[in-house]
Amino acid sequence: MASDGVWWRVAWRNLWRNRGRTLITASGLAFGYLSAVVMVGLTDGMVAELIENGTRLMMGQVQVHSAEYLPERNMHHTIGGYDGVDLEALLARLEANPDVTAAAPRLYGGGLLSSGDETKAGLLYGVDPDREQQVSTLLSRVSQGRLPVPDAYEILVGVEMARQLSLSIGAEVVVVAPASDGSMGNDLFTLVGTFETGTPAIDANYAVLPLSDLQYLMAMDPGRVHEVALTVTRAWDTPLIASGLAASLEGSGPQFEVTPWTDLRPELAEAIGLMDAVNYLIAGIIFSMAIFGVANTMLIGTFERRREFAVVRALGTTPLGVGRTVVYEGMILGAISLAVGAAITWPIVVWWHNSPPDLTSVLGGFSFSGSQWRPILRIEYSYDTPIICAVALFLTAVLAALYPAWKATRVPPADALADR
Amino acid sequence: MLKLAARSVGRNARRSALTAAAMVIGLALLIFSRSLAEGAHEQWITSAIRIGSGHVAIQAPEYLESGKLEHRIGAVGHERALRAVESVSGDQVLAHTPRLSVDGLASSAASALPIRIEGVDPEQERAFSDLDEKVEDGRYLEPGDRLHAYVGVELARRLGLKVGTRFVLTAQSAAGDVEGQLVRVAGIFRTSIPEMDQGLIHIPIETAREWLGTPDAVTTVAVLLATSRDTDRVVSELRDALAGASDLRVLGWRQAAPELDSALRMDDYGDYVFHSILFAIVALAILNAVMMSVLGRRREFGLLQALGLTGAQTGWVVFGEGLFLTAVSGVVGMVLGFLFTWGFFRNGLDFSGLVESEGAWASAGGMVDPVIVPTFHSSQVLLSLYFILIIGTLASIYPALRASKLDVAEAMKFDR
Amino acid sequence: MSRVFGYRVVHMWLAATASFLLCAPAPAPLAAQTAREIIDQVDRLMRGESSHGRMTIDIVTEHWSRSLDMEVWSLGTEHSLVHVQSPPREAGTATLRAKDEVWNYLPRADKTIKVPPSLMMGSWMGSHFTNDDLVKESRIVDDYDFEISLDGSVDGVEVYEFTLTPRPEAPVVWGRVEEQVRKRDLMPTWVRYYDDDGTLVRTMTFSDYEMMSGRLVPTVMLMIPADKPEEKTSMTYHELEFDIDLNESFFSLRTLRARR
Repeated sequence: MASDGVWWRVAWRNLWRNRGRTLITASGLAFGYLSAVVMVGLTDGMVAELIENGTRLMMGQVQVHSAEYLPERNMHHTIGGYDGVDLEALLARLEANPDVTAAAPRLYGGGLLSSGDETKAGLLYGVDPDREQQVSTLLSRVSQGRLPVPDAYEILVGVEMARQLSLSIGAEVVVVAPASDGSMGNDLFTLVGTFETGTPAIDANYAVLPLSDLQYLMAMDPGRVHEVALTVTRAWDTPLIASGLAASLEGSGPQFEVTPWTDLRPELAEAIGLMDAVNYLIAGIIFSMAIFGVANTMLIGTFERRREFAVVRALGTTPLGVGRTVVYEGMILGAISLAVGAAITWPIVVWWHNSPPDLTSVLGGFSFSGSQWRPILRIEYSYDTPIICAVALFLTAVLAALYPAWKATRVPPADALADR
Repeated sequence: MLKLAARSVGRNARRSALTAAAMVIGLALLIFSRSLAEGAHEQWITSAIRIGSGHVAIQAPEYLESGKLEHRIGAVGHERALRAVESVSGDQVLAHTPRLSVDGLASSAASALPIRIEGVDPEQERAFSDLDEKVEDGRYLEPGDRLHAYVGVELARRLGLKVGTRFVLTAQSAAGDVEGQLVRVAGIFRTSIPEMDQGLIHIPIETAREWLGTPDAVTTVAVLLATSRDTDRVVSELRDALAGASDLRVLGWRQAAPELDSALRMDDYGDYVFHSILFAIVALAILNAVMMSVLGRRREFGLLQALGLTGAQTGWVVFGEGLFLTAVSGVVGMVLGFLFTWGFFRNGLDFSGLVESEGAWASAGGMVDPVIVPTFHSSQVLLSLYFILIIGTLASIYPALRASKLDVAEAMKFDR
Repeated sequence: MSRVFGYRVVHMWLAATASFLLCAPAPAPLAAQTAREIIDQVDRLMRGESSHGRMTIDIVTEHWSRSLDMEVWSLGTEHSLVHVQSPPREAGTATLRAKDEVWNYLPRADKTIKVPPSLMMGSWMGSHFTNDDLVKESRIVDDYDFEISLDGSVDGVEVYEFTLTPRPEAPVVWGRVEEQVRKRDLMPTWVRYYDDDGTLVRTMTFSDYEMMSGRLVPTVMLMIPADKPEEKTSMTYHELEFDIDLNESFFSLRTLRARR
């Protein structure tokens, strides 16, 4: 009985006896690895993009409200009730959490915007421009003009609203809004800019005012806001981060409700869940195709070597020994493919991640589920995906070798010799 | 030569079968996945379009932008539009329906809410939209109804309405007056599309006309087609038919419902990425399979040449074998994929386990039912076949080249 | 927009309810007339009339309460002008309604804006009166059938109680309206509004009957929603004159601006 090392050597030599075939199979496997990693990366990239676009345009990844605010969004249910809160302290407290990267206070109002003969209902969005820019990208979508400055009666509206009201930069806009004291707040604002998100519902209905101006218009104290929106370090982990935040805010004083984006936009979370399912599906297809390819090659290989096997068997090798060498072949093949695959995959993934191709020119931008979306083929990579793929690839090769190996063990010494 | 190639395939039956199996499975998968994606797509468009303004909408030129009653189509225009719709060739047009839509206010004893009121012809609308199937309580409008309204479940909740409850619709009439109209709830629907469930009311079109002072008028003639792919053709046909009518404008759904268009393009894009990758994988598998089937048979090819075939001829035999193999597996794969899809899932594939929200996955005014019925298009099937043949051809070139440059003596030298 | 302008405010005291209209003429012997005839007569008398007055509105809601002083002019059912005098934050705000156009003057912005009818919704100025209460272009007798449901004494006062049932096609949200009228001077005492199921939705009560410009009127009207008894809106008239010298040209944008 020969030692194990011999069988390894036999397997190795066998592989290189038909170099072309081995190389093709190995490159097939390597490409399978590449496509699996790239595919998973692409889907992760799309997911990241979806989350980012879905949450970053306006929503934020976590929202803090008064416990009473959702779902009715009653104007009176500001954080801390009628008295409001010490906003700076609250923001500082939220930002103290290591998972929170930024926090922005917001006030919402419904109102009428009017210019000349045109009047339109709109949503008034009171923000702290500096903080808001760290949480949402709405203010970076200014297509004309600039951002409003607090206490100067300046306003920013969507391009579609500007069109409907026939407004140009510098025009005067009358804003009327029901105030917290039951009165009708009204003031004259100057249009300093327009924004364009590409999402019709936002471009036609939203007007952005500095927080303090909207508070004044709605007869609210400076400590009154409806919402503090947050961005967090790990978007996918948001539910966990949110519950951590909720726990840290608990206690005496105002009752808060901390809502992660997954609850605010369940359809988005669902779409992402669906994409993950697709991810598994694709990976499954890739590897089953790979199994097929490898099994095919090796089966042909073992079939061609029937005579050899018969000779070895006739020389006293057990069927198991014959089978083993075939499995070893699969393992070596897997290892080589893996090395090659990793060697091509990594540079590609890193390059792709750093300079993703932008298909905007081909497909155009579009909005989805209330968020603007650009067709950038972005790749996200983590460390577990390539490793999981590598293990899967190796197992694929071994698994694929099992059937040919079993076939090889079945080669009877005499018959095979008699064949030729 | 072809015979030789075919025989070669036949002789290596087992090997050929294995090779073919890889292709067959890949293709079957491709067909399955494409038809599923296509089915979801079509379903989404159809659902949005049937509640919305159809695949093709005929309106007054300013109506899309203004949405105002003053931009309506009168009796003459309506008649002309109908004649044009009926003149559309073939059987692309499934149904059409007149709509008289206006924005207004619905008030009940409990509250008042802004809504979109659509005056519809109950019979034609039933054939056109599937809103009548979404009934939760009561019934859809019926011919002969007058003061009946079909309202969304969320609106009913907010206004405290039940079947039979009276409420008042208020809107600006054609004359500019604010007019009220009493209606009673005939039925309550649930579409799972928030905008519809809280903001849409159907009333009989004759009631709307009387109330708004617009006898015989419509704001939209909505046209439903057999498939959304006919939209452009029908739009241009209708435009030609209505070329002389400056008071009518023909819109495809992409124009009439830009939000839906955007959402679909996003979906398209996802499909595009997904299927490109799937195609690449299948292509690779085919390449691998074809190469495997002809490589390593040097002795055999050497023999062919020793028997008098030239190098080029041997190459052609190999090429033919690869092509033959691809074509056969391609067809088998597609048929299998088709049969598999049709056999198991012609009634739809239920994804409701993956979707948590009740009902459907709604977006951009349309919804995808979690039960997706796969759809096939002949062009798509042909495209797949074409693609397979291209891949097969490409994959066969290399082995063919190698076979044609074989050194006969060398190939025959040792017996393996 | 939940709470928009009281563009039809004037009609509140012209036509807030059928019962209010009952107060106009000198009491007539009811025995000779049906309820319908009386109400029709009163309704007719009030139409096309000009008026001018001052009043205070007090609104109490779950979230806020406030008090508004305003001056009001009206001509028929199609023209009205309301001018808010206090509190300071809102002083100068004015609403003009001429035919089907509604304009608001906003003093802080010093602008007039035209408000599309589609944006006029539900409650009037955040009060418990709806815009529908304030304008009744169609005649009450056209919308309801009337019936005397009680003819007798309640708490020592001789009263009639009417039940108003909307006609089958009348654009009325109520399932039923009940009102009580004093026999003595045909002054209304309360109106109760019920929904289609017969559930009480809100109650309006009248009090402080005084002579104004030669007519007896209830100077205080109080509206209480049944589902939120802690909320209410009351309107109190301080001055009221009828048949003054007003014509349509008064209800113009120029007047709207000049009235600040």
